[in-house]
Amino acid sequence: MIAPETVRSRSLRRDLALGLGFGLAVLWLLGMLGAGLVLKREIDEVFDASLQETAERILPIAVIELINSDIVGPARRVSPVGPMDEYMKYVVRGGDGAILLYSHQARLDSFAVPLATGFHTIADHRIFVLTAVSGAYQIEVAEPLDHRREVLMRTELAMLVPLAILIPFSLLGIAWFVGRSLRPVAALSKEVRGRGASELSPLQTRGLQTELLPIRNAVNQLMARLKRAMESERSFTANAAHELRTPVASTLAQTQRLIAEVPPGPLRLRAQTIEAELRRLARLSEKLLQLSRAEGGGVLAEDPQDLAPILAMVVQDFGRAGQGERLRLSLPEGGTTPARMDPDAFAILARNLIENALTHGDPAQPIDISLARDASLSVTNACPVIPADALSRLTTRFERAGARTAGSGLGLAIVASIARGAGARLALLSPAPGRADGFAAQVSPVPSQPANGRRT
Amino acid sequence: MRILLIEDDRGLGSAVRDQISAEGHTPDWVETLADARACTDTVDYDLILLDLALPDGNGIDFLRALRTRRATNPVIIMTARDRITDRIAGLNAGADDYLVKPVDLAELSARIGAVARRYKGNPNPLIELGDLAIDLAARSITGASGAIDLSQREWVIFEVLLQRPGAIVAKSQIEERLYSFDAEVESNTIEVYVSRLRKKLGHDAIETVRGMGYRLGRA
Repeated sequence: MIAPETVRSRSLRRDLALGLGFGLAVLWLLGMLGAGLVLKREIDEVFDASLQETAERILPIAVIELINSDIVGPARRVSPVGPMDEYMKYVVRGGDGAILLYSHQARLDSFAVPLATGFHTIADHRIFVLTAVSGAYQIEVAEPLDHRREVLMRTELAMLVPLAILIPFSLLGIAWFVGRSLRPVAALSKEVRGRGASELSPLQTRGLQTELLPIRNAVNQLMARLKRAMESERSFTANAAHELRTPVASTLAQTQRLIAEVPPGPLRLRAQTIEAELRRLARLSEKLLQLSRAEGGGVLAEDPQDLAPILAMVVQDFGRAGQGERLRLSLPEGGTTPARMDPDAFAILARNLIENALTHGDPAQPIDISLARDASLSVTNACPVIPADALSRLTTRFERAGARTAGSGLGLAIVASIARGAGARLALLSPAPGRADGFAAQVSPVPSQPANGRRT
Repeated sequence: MRILLIEDDRGLGSAVRDQISAEGHTPDWVETLADARACTDTVDYDLILLDLALPDGNGIDFLRALRTRRATNPVIIMTARDRITDRIAGLNAGADDYLVKPVDLAELSARIGAVARRYKGNPNPLIELGDLAIDLAARSITGASGAIDLSQREWVIFEVLLQRPGAIVAKSQIEERLYSFDAEVESNTIEVYVSRLRKKLGHDAIETVRGMGYRLGRA
C-alpha cells in the first residue's frame, strides 16, 4: 500500500508557470547579453572607422600646414573654430617623435610616448596612429572610451526597458495559459478528490487532452474491474448468508419442535440449551455477515436515496417482532435530502444502532430514533453515563458496554465500518445531547454530494 | 386455517408443518412452485407461507402471479434473504409479512395469527360473542361459567364459523379447513365436532341450516 503524502505536494500549475516564466526570462536575458556583445563589437568597428577616417583627413592638412609654416620651435596648439568640447583629440609628431601640433584640448601628458601605427587602447582612450611622408610625420588621434560605453549603455537600455515591461505581462500570460490548459486536469483532480471510499462509478470529466485521456480511461477500467470484484463479493456474501441461514433455521426449528414435543425433564432442558446455543450461533453468523458486507464496500449508493422509508421499514420490522413498544420514530415530512448511502447498508446500520439501544438501554425508557432533513440519523437511549474511554472503544470489534450484556460486540463496529465506507460522520455521545444521562449515536451521511473524505 | 407451506428445505419444512399443525391449523406442504400452483388452483388457502429461493423458480414471481389474478390470500414470505431491498421487493409484490430465517417458531405462529386477523378485518385478537370471550391469539374461550377447553379440531371448526359471523358456511368449506391433502375425510366427522361444540358452548352457539351448512348462532 502506498503511504499517503505527508509533505505538501507540489503544484503542477505553479511549477509549469514558474518554470516557463523563469526559463523565458533567462532566455531573454541571454539573448540580450549576446545582442549586447554583438552590439559592442559593431559599435567599436563604427567608432574605430570614424577614428581612422578622422586621422586620415587631418594628417594631410597638418603636414601641409607644418611644411608651409616652416616654423621650428615648441609644439603648436590648433585653435578651435568656435567654443566647443573637443570629442577627438590629436597630436602630430615629427620624424623624431617630438610633438609639432596638437588639438586645443589635447593633454600632452596623455601622448607622452610615440606609438606604433595602428589602433591602441591606453588610459581609457582608443588611439589610432597614422604616418605620412615615409614616417616623417605621424598623427595620433585619441577618443575617450566613455563615449563608446555611453552609446552602448543607451542602446542596451533602449532594448532592456521594453523587455522589463514585457516580462511581467509574459509571466501573467503564462500563468493564465497554463491555468487554462490545466483546467481539465484540475477538473479531473477535483472529481477524483471528491470520491468516497466506495464510489466506483466511472470518472465523467470532459474535455481532457490527449495525454490525459488514457489516464482517465485506465482509471475507469480499473474501477470497473474493482466494481465487478465487489459485486462478486457481495453476491458471494449473499449466497453465503443463504447457505448458512437455511441449515441454522432448520436445526433451530427442529429443536424448537423437540422442546414442544418432549415432556418436561432433562431431555427438554438439554434441547433448550441447544436452542439457546443455536440462537447465539445465528446471531453471531448474522453479525459476521453484516460486518463482511460493511467492510467489503458497496455501502455508497450510485444514486442518492431517500433514507426515510428505509428507516420506517426497519422500525416496522422491530414492531412486527414485538420489540417496537419502546421505539419512538421521528421522520422529516417529505423525506430526507437524498443521501448516497446504499439502502441495505443503511438498513444494517440503523438496525444495529436500534439493537444496540434495545440491548444496552434502560428497558423502562423509550428509545428515540430521529432522521433529520439532512439525512442525519440519531438513536438515543437512556442509560448511565458511559465513561469517555469506554465510549472510544465501543466501535472496536467484540467490545461491549458491559461485560455481562447480551450483545454480540459487533454492532457498533459494523456501524462504524458502514459510516466509514460511506464517508459519513459517526459520533457516539454520552451523556446524550440535552440530557444528563443516556447514550446517543449520530450518523451524518453525505447528502447528494460526493464524499469528501472518511471521518469516523 | 388451511395454510399452504412452500419450503424446499425438508428439515425446516417439516418443523414448520408440525408447528402449524400443533397450532390447530391445517397445513399443506409443498417443495416446488409447480406443486404450489396446483394447490392454489384447487384450494382457497387462508394463508400461504412462501420461501423465495425454490428449486423451480423465485417465490416473488409466484406471488406476483397470484396477485395478478387477484387472489387475496394472505402471504408471509419466509426467506434467508435479509436485504432491505429484497424485503421491499417482497412487500411490493404483495406479501403481507416478511420473515428472515432463522425464524423462531413461536414468532412465526404469532405472525400467522396477526396476518390472518388483519385479513379478516379485525386485527384485535379479542372477540366477544354473547357470553363468550374469545382470544384468537391465545386460542382460549371464556364462558359464563369459566374457561372452555376446545380440542384442536373443534377450534378449527369454530374459527371457520367465527371468520364469517352470521353467514352460512358449507360443510365442504369446513372439511377443506379441517383436512390436508393427505388426511382422509370421514363422512360424519363434521357433525360429530359440531355436536361437541354445542355441548361446550351452548346449544344455540351453532345453527344447522339444513342442506346448506352451519352458521354462528349468537353473532
